[in-house]
Amino acid sequence: MIQITKRFIEFMLFLFLLSFISFILIKLVPGDPIRRMLQVDEVSVTKEQIEALRDELKLHEPLYIQYWYWLKRFFAFDLGHSYITKQPVLSELLSRFPATMMLTCASLIVMILISIPLGTLSALYKNKWVDHISRLFALVGSSIPSFWLGLLFIELFAVRLGILPSMGKGTVKHIILPSLTLGIAMSAVYVRLLRSSLLESLNEDYVKAARARGISERRIVLFHVFRRSLIPVVTNFGMSIGSLISGTVVIEVLFSYPGIGKMVVDAMIRRDYPVIQGYVLFITIFIVLINIIVDIGYRYLNPEIRLKGVERR
Amino acid sequence: MSLLTVRHLHISCRNKPIVKNIDFTVRQGEWFTLIGESGSGKSITASTIGGLLPKEMSIAAGHVLFDNKDITHLSNKEFQKLRGKEISYVFQDYQSSLTPFMKIGKQMDEMIQAHCSLTKNERREIALQALEDVQLPTKRVYNSYPFQLSGGQLQRASIAMAIMLNPKLLIADEPTTALDSITAVHVLEVIANIKEKINCAILFITHDLRLARKYSNTIAVMKQGEIVEAGTKESVIYHPSHPYTKRLLGAVPTIKSSTSPAKLDLILQ
Amino acid sequence: MKIIKQTYQMNSQSLLFILVFAYFLAIVIAPLFTPHDPLQINMNERLLKPSEEHLFGTDHLGRDLFSRILTGGQVTVGTGLLVLIIVLLVGVPLGMVSGFIGGRFDRYFMRIIDSFMAFPDFIIAIVLSGILGPSMLNLIFAIVVAKWGSYARLVRSTVLSEKEKDYVLMAVVNGLSAFQIIRKHLLPHVMGNVLVLATLDFGKIILMIASLSYIGLGAQPPTPEWGAMLNESTPYVQSSPHLMIIPGIAIMCTVLISNLVGDVLRDRFDVKG
Repeated sequence: MIQITKRFIEFMLFLFLLSFISFILIKLVPGDPIRRMLQVDEVSVTKEQIEALRDELKLHEPLYIQYWYWLKRFFAFDLGHSYITKQPVLSELLSRFPATMMLTCASLIVMILISIPLGTLSALYKNKWVDHISRLFALVGSSIPSFWLGLLFIELFAVRLGILPSMGKGTVKHIILPSLTLGIAMSAVYVRLLRSSLLESLNEDYVKAARARGISERRIVLFHVFRRSLIPVVTNFGMSIGSLISGTVVIEVLFSYPGIGKMVVDAMIRRDYPVIQGYVLFITIFIVLINIIVDIGYRYLNPEIRLKGVERR
Repeated sequence: MSLLTVRHLHISCRNKPIVKNIDFTVRQGEWFTLIGESGSGKSITASTIGGLLPKEMSIAAGHVLFDNKDITHLSNKEFQKLRGKEISYVFQDYQSSLTPFMKIGKQMDEMIQAHCSLTKNERREIALQALEDVQLPTKRVYNSYPFQLSGGQLQRASIAMAIMLNPKLLIADEPTTALDSITAVHVLEVIANIKEKINCAILFITHDLRLARKYSNTIAVMKQGEIVEAGTKESVIYHPSHPYTKRLLGAVPTIKSSTSPAKLDLILQ
Repeated sequence: MKIIKQTYQMNSQSLLFILVFAYFLAIVIAPLFTPHDPLQINMNERLLKPSEEHLFGTDHLGRDLFSRILTGGQVTVGTGLLVLIIVLLVGVPLGMVSGFIGGRFDRYFMRIIDSFMAFPDFIIAIVLSGILGPSMLNLIFAIVVAKWGSYARLVRSTVLSEKEKDYVLMAVVNGLSAFQIIRKHLLPHVMGNVLVLATLDFGKIILMIASLSYIGLGAQPPTPEWGAMLNESTPYVQSSPHLMIIPGIAIMCTVLISNLVGDVLRDRFDVKG
């Protein structure tokens, strides 16, 4: 309970810091923000218009007052409006987030379906052909650019075979290629990680002791070794949720998939700063939440920490 | 009546011989001690009996007979049935004798389930009884994770598991080496008591002569993969014939060659 | 038997290093031998299939793909090396100093790095280059910011553990200056680990540059960067798949080599990955 409270306080402090950084970041961007905002419409701008907007955004005030206003809006969940669409950033993000979430989850499932069997087989049949194949897969998989893999899939499944759509969103079919691409690209790391972690556990003396008690090999792998081996995998997962999120950016652009990743890249190319800012805040909070969940999962897997409250190594 | 007979056993590791022509017999209900320095091949020999040799090692020649059956080349499945039920092990490293992250009760339960078809309550009864036999607080240990127990408690818990299903042979591979001397004496006592209770034979492996002398009936001395001397406790300790055995005896506090058996007894205690 | 096997292993390792050296040498000098001008637009020769004249065919503006791949190697790999060098120049000294000074300064410094590392490097790179605007220079800056922390941390922890060892204490007793100690005793220990991390990272940096350029945040047309070339090829996947396949293979080979060498180095220096 104390842990959770501590976590929460840390989280709030983190939010403050984050709000400050993203405020400063936008201030650092070269050029006059007012001109940037108004020029998008490509209509000539009058002096009065500029002054009016400047007043409205309190740009006359000193920086800390500006920050105060910005902070007040930030905690009221007001992330401003997009320069281009004029819509509130938060509602745009929220409307597009489910698509990205779907893609992330589908990719995760692909990743798990590939890496757990492959990593386990690879460890159990070390130096046999299954192991060689999965190590080759891990090596090539970690070297292949994910967007190129996606392009190859489009070429094969959409252009040549014509069985799957290459872009857009809507049906289940639309999510197959993007999630396959991302899932395969991500699983390379985990095949490797699970393999080495399992091999390490299989060499432990407690495995020999379990064998000496007449426990079957299958039970030993499933109940004695596997759980232990998942710990580094789960710890790592918290770190690589970021590569998953950034992976979705590239994949969404590639497949013209209407998630928040595509949205932010469009915003970057059109210099639509409030959207970029909103995305940063949104993703950061998301990543922090995931890390908290991972921490809880870690505690569940490792009773020593759960019962003794030992810090994570 | 002989329970375990090892005949002309040769073991090699990647074509390099590491155990050479081992011969010995453990009789039913006997305490048989295999003594030697580390690296003398005694633990390898112990592993061979239950089919627990590491992958890179293999039996080059010889036989292992257990209960009048040749068990040298059993399949993995057949060994599984034997281990824990007929032949049990206790290892040196108590910390890794039990799977971390798995409650001790769960591990005992799993072991009984692997060998007998009993109801959940019957299994629990057996496990608790075994914990009581090794003088542990039964319920608490049953519901504990390994990291919640002390070294001596852990080793007693693994002894409890080893004797739970009344094996005919208990192989204790340096069970006290990692413990402090007071705990070690206690653990040895526990093993001796259990032996009386279920009347199993014990193959005790150690490098420490002091431990060998108290409970052993028969002692075999191993050196560099070979048995250099074997016989009853009295003949090996009081009338050693091989220079290595003499040296082993010499390694224990100062003993002059003229020391009488009675005096030696005192020192060794 | 054993000796033969060992020499075989030795040779296969040195063979790998020779191959790598040859590969990078080829990338450096290849642009000198391009058969065509990589930027020369020729609308009469658009989207040609590979032929003797155009080894890899031509792209949607009639530019020779082979020449563009060769030049692109210098852009992509060269940028990657540049990024890596800057990262090392920033991260290694900072980590060294922080570990060497220790105390409160070290604690605050680590806090900063930890908060950097809480964000995935790829996200930092995307967001920074997005905010600063699409250009190669901004891309380099963004990746450096994303990457330097892990080097500083690695160097710091190595220094921290080495510093307590006797030979460093002896050096202190013997009156060597801090600079001398760092240069003579700590640097050699640190370099092994840094080398392994850098080699493994090089592939990731190449992937980052290519990915960012692919989504339009890095190299801008007409620069022949491999990722940007893939971006340009996307509309022609159907008619001219070779435009997409060849740059992809180029990226993959480069990253694969870096990963292979990294693995070999990791085993040799026995670094935990």
